[in-house]
This record gives sequence, structure tokens and C-alpha cells, in this order.
Amino acid sequence: MHLKTLTLTNFKNYDLQTLAFSERLNCLTGRNGMGKTNVLDAIYYLCMCKSHFGINDRLVMQRGADFFRLEGDFVREEKKEKIVAKVIPRKRKEIERNGVVYKRLIDHIGLLPVVMAAPDDTVIAREGSEERRRFLDNTLSQSDPIYLRHLVAYNRLLSQRNALLKQFHAERRFDENLLQIFDEQMQEPAAFIVKARQQFLENFEPILKENYAAISEDQEGIACVYNSKLLTENFADLLHDAREKDRVLQRTTIGIHKDDLAFKIDAHALKVFASQGQLKSFILALKLAQYEFLRQHKGIAPLLLLDDIFDKLDRGRVRSLINLILEKNYGQTFITDTDENRLQDILSAAGSDFKIFSVDEGTVDG
Amino acid sequence: MTANVPRPPFFPYFCGMNFSSKLIENAVESFAALPGIGRRTALRLVLHLVNQDADKTKDLTESLQKMRSGIRACEVCHNLSDERVCSVCADMRRDRGTICVVENIRDVMAIEETQQYRGLYHVLGGVINPIEGIGPDKLNAQTLMQRAAKDEVKEIIMAISPTIEGDTTIFYLTKNLKDFDVRVSTIARGVSFGGELEYADELTLGRSIVARVPYRAGE
Repeated sequence: MHLKTLTLTNFKNYDLQTLAFSERLNCLTGRNGMGKTNVLDAIYYLCMCKSHFGINDRLVMQRGADFFRLEGDFVREEKKEKIVAKVIPRKRKEIERNGVVYKRLIDHIGLLPVVMAAPDDTVIAREGSEERRRFLDNTLSQSDPIYLRHLVAYNRLLSQRNALLKQFHAERRFDENLLQIFDEQMQEPAAFIVKARQQFLENFEPILKENYAAISEDQEGIACVYNSKLLTENFADLLHDAREKDRVLQRTTIGIHKDDLAFKIDAHALKVFASQGQLKSFILALKLAQYEFLRQHKGIAPLLLLDDIFDKLDRGRVRSLINLILEKNYGQTFITDTDENRLQDILSAAGSDFKIFSVDEGTVDG
Repeated sequence: MTANVPRPPFFPYFCGMNFSSKLIENAVESFAALPGIGRRTALRLVLHLVNQDADKTKDLTESLQKMRSGIRACEVCHNLSDERVCSVCADMRRDRGTICVVENIRDVMAIEETQQYRGLYHVLGGVINPIEGIGPDKLNAQTLMQRAAKDEVKEIIMAISPTIEGDTTIFYLTKNLKDFDVRVSTIARGVSFGGELEYADELTLGRSIVARVPYRAGE
């Protein structure tokens, strides 16, 4: 699978820009703040119907504009796929596939698998469990469309249940029978999600270990463990037992929205034990493993978006990383870097098919 | 194309429509307050009325006034009605053993349009949605229980939207109906007629396979 051309209109700092890409390796170079990452985010948007950075569509739009539009000509399993995203504030976001508007955006997720690695990814290891669930959900939503359906259903039920708990508190009453309805409805999606996450970890951990070993020169053993109370206990019982707590706190205190992943390095918690370098290697391994998992499960090579991953790496490590990407035969890859000469030298030496774009103030040459 | 193209001049012109008559302006405002009617359409309607006989306007306003003061909810099923009991509930030729539960009046009209259903209705007036502050007490759920308690009622069909909130509502009603001697069913969910399997979403297709129906040839 690859992206042939991309057209951005009023997207972040781009007025109007069309880019034609290499099927293999594309490098976007330029100074900070010129719009390199925005090109990657535009590609991500066409695959996932939203910005990678979790920002509002209004902020994705160029300042002063009253719409934005992205158009990508993809080739997937030798078939052309034209994807267009049209966003006008206060109107419904439209994503088109070959001229047909999707009724629901979630139907598009997974058609064009994508993996993005960005400098702020270390939050996955450093911050709260939400970031790790986001990683899980991102991977599983792309690999299994039914997972995403169940996740949307679960989240909707969770919001309704929390609203009900708040309502009970405000009205000084408590209707256990009504709460029970939500508890029962949540069983099916929760069971599906727990099982999917558990199975995912079984497949994913060996891939992660392999990738970490390839990147890191250190020989530490790593582990990735899925933690959920729902693995050992019955969800209906857990909800029942937590009812009094939920009533007081006015929110649902147990469920798959409390699941977590524990990352370990030599049997210690990664967050506490790892050095900056180890953390960086681990996160990159995590993303490359996500790539490998999606490739195995979908049978097509996802797009790989590497944003500024060479930052703070010496020339030798950049070279070995690029060689790894070239050797392991990743699909179409997009890389941003501030140093044009460095990439030019390394890639010319590697002799692979590549294209270098120079980005300056929202315009791209290449 | 860039964002810097100047807007066509008619837009600000129409926003600050200038009327020579306050009467016209008021009428336009009233029409424009209706859903789906913008100020341009409102003006067109008002000018149309002005160009016609005054009687036409009188007929229109009278029929609207009569409708608004006379219309009420049917005491039995909460459908719109001119009388205490609506024409569907009053029609003795209809099957009184079956009640079709719907969210709103428009659903009654949609099902009536199919001419496939000869039973009675029950209009809930919405679905359970705590985020919007709608609990079962805000719906016509209690009157449904009272109706279900009657001997003549054999089946209750849940014709409620296949959404999360719709499911919650069906779940709630079914639980509350379990002590009554009635059969509860839901409308079939699956691949639409004239649709192609390739384009059906996975969840719908999966459910359609699980809830497949026996095929009877030649009937």
C-alpha cells in the first residue's frame, strides 16, 4: 500500500500544496516550525479521520480559513483509493472514499493502516494509563473493525452510566434497577474488548521483544503485561460490588476503562528504571512492533510516519536506524528531519529509492 | 483556490435585509423561525401571501390555529389525536392483541405508511438517555405497563432505533414486562433489501448471519 499524491488545502500552515511521493522512502527536511510534521499529520488524518495530536479540527484548519480539505490518492492491493477529507466548522465532517461519503467515520478506520512515531510518544511510558489504553485501542481498532464498534458502544454506555450516577446524586435518589440495565448492557462489549486485548498482548509481546533487541545495543530483557481486573473476576460482580463507591463518587470506578499495560525492563518498571536512551529505544520498538503486528494481521504493509525520531541521535545511530528501516522492508515510509545533508548522505550511500522534500514556511519543494 | 477570494456581495446584503414595512418584516421573522426555512424562503412565502387574496391567508392562519388548539395526545397510545382517543386506537377492526412501541409520532406515520401492520401503537416520546437528562420517568413507560396488564394484549413489538440508547430502552421495558403474560419481540435488524452484502457493515452482517431466518420457497 502507498500514497501517490497528497493535496492539502488550508491545512495548518499550508494554503494549497500538492506532493507526489516515492513508493518507498520520503524525507521531509527543513527548519523547525516550517510544516514538516503537518504533512505527516495530514497523511495520518486521511487514514484515521483525525489529527494524531488529538487536537480539535478547528485548530487543524489554517488560521482565518473557513474550511480545510485533504485529498490523497492511495494504492491499496493494486486498487486506487481516493480519500478526501472535508471539514467545515459547524458542519458534519465528511470523509469520502472514491467519491462516496462514509455514513460513519468508523467504517473508514483500518482501511489504510498507519503507524506514527513522534517525539512526544514517551508519554505512553511516562504518563497515566490513559495513554497506554490509547495505544492499545489505536492498534486494535485498525486491526479489527468489530473491536472499534464495541469500544464505541462501551464508551457510550459508560458516559450514560456516569450521567445517570450524577443525576441520582443531584436528585438525591438511587434507582438500582435502572443502573443494572447499564451494567448488563456493558457486559458484551467489555467481554469482547478484554479478550481482544489479552489475545493482542500474546501476539504482540514477542514482536516487541524482537524489535527492542534489534534497536537497542543493550541486552536488557523487556516485558509487556496486560493488567485488567476483568481477567480474573466477573465484570457483573465487580460492578455490583463497586455500586456504593460509584454512587458516592458519581462515576463508574471499574471496567475496561481502567485497564493498563505494565512495561518492564529487567523485571523493573520501565517508567522508574529506564534511562532516557532506553526509554527512547523502547518507545521506538513499541511503534515498530505495532507496525509489524498490523502488517501481519492485515496482510498489507501500513504507512510508517517517523516524526523527528533522529533528534539527539548521533550520525552512527541514525545510519543504523535507516538501514534497519530499509533492510526490514517496511512499506512506504515518511521521515522528517532538520538536517538535510545528513539524510542525503546516508540515503545516497544506501542506494535505495527515496525522495527528499525541502519544507519552508508552508511550501514544499521536491 | 485560496481563502483570500472575496465573498460574493449578496451575502451581507441578505443578512441585513431592509424592509419598507414593519408588518412584512415581522411575518418574515415568524416564518424564518421555523425549521428548514431561511430568511430568503421566508420572504418568498410572505410575498406570495401578499400577492394572493386576503382570504387565503385567513384560511391558512385559521387552520393552523384550529390545529394547534385542537390537537392533543391520545389517552391510550400518546399518538397525536383530534379526540380523546386517536383514530388508530378507536378502530375496532385493528388487532388489539398487538402493541407496537415506537419512539415518536413520526415512527407511527412511517409504519402506517408501509401498510404492513394492523395492530395498535404506543408512543414512548423518546428513549432513555441520562446524558440528555431523560430517564424512564420522562417517557410514557408506565402507561405501557398498564396496557400490557390487560388480557387481550398478547404481543409487544419494540420498534425502536437500533442505537445504544434504543437498546437500553428495550432492555428496560422488557425487564419490566417480564411479569406480564406477553410476548416481547423486536423488529428484525439486518442487511437492507436492495443492499449489497459487500457494503453492509461487519456488525450488521455478523448479526444477520447469527439471526438468520429459514427460507421458504414459493410462499
